[in-house]
Amino acid sequence: MMNFSSIQKLDNLLLVSVPRDLVDDEVIQLRRDVLNAIRQYKSQIILLDFSRVDICDSFFGRFIYGTSQMTRLMGAKVIISGLQDAVIETMVELGMTLPDVDAVLDLDDALALSRSLRSAAVPPLAAGQDDDE
Amino acid sequence: MNSPSSARSTLFFRIENVHDVSDARRKGLLLALDVGFATADATKIAVVISELGRNIVSYARSGTITVLTGRDDGTRRYIKIIADDRGPGIKDLRRVLDGGYTTSNGLGLGVSGSQKLMDEFAVRTGENEGTTITAVKWLR
Repeated sequence: MMNFSSIQKLDNLLLVSVPRDLVDDEVIQLRRDVLNAIRQYKSQIILLDFSRVDICDSFFGRFIYGTSQMTRLMGAKVIISGLQDAVIETMVELGMTLPDVDAVLDLDDALALSRSLRSAAVPPLAAGQDDDE
Repeated sequence: MNSPSSARSTLFFRIENVHDVSDARRKGLLLALDVGFATADATKIAVVISELGRNIVSYARSGTITVLTGRDDGTRRYIKIIADDRGPGIKDLRRVLDGGYTTSNGLGLGVSGSQKLMDEFAVRTGENEGTTITAVKWLR
């Protein structure tokens, strides 16, 4: 059965709370919902929060990697957060190191990263004024 | 502290779809925790059940997974996973065990990765005879 999942807009961040247990067609549906939400909210950072996930097999790994690739083609970036220690140990020993996918420890770090990317993207106001004249 | 098992020490699952796999890995995780495995080791056992179960669904369409607990000479406890199917068998076992090789759309980590997560791992396979994988993890 589908357990609760949520996709929330938070500033320029799309917060995706990944459910504890997902079977394959639910994973594909979740990814489609994420891509749809990126377009709707013009999100730049997609935070996949795994804090509720306690079993992460290679199919889940493929979901993370595939979602990362797809969001990149939409000009957005996936960051994963909240991986439990036991899940991390298992993923790495399984050989699932997910190159090119960035991770942060928790939501606080994700928000800080999101803000730093946002402030870096804002053009300096004072320098811009002369160009209009 | 986990108190040593009051749960059933053998679990048997018919595997025909991903929901069966999900059920097996969840119950396997709980059994491993109940036996006294640390969370990380119980997670590994659950992931191995999941990987082997997925292989059954992908390649053989149906099969069984048995998860049982035992003791060596009445001392150390272990969990044994037996994944059994009557599918086409693994043609190139060496490449599969080396990892990164797949004929489905997975990462090619299922069998090779499972081997790394367990203490003992044995594969018996034959073309059109099916595959039986037996994997053991000892309680530390």
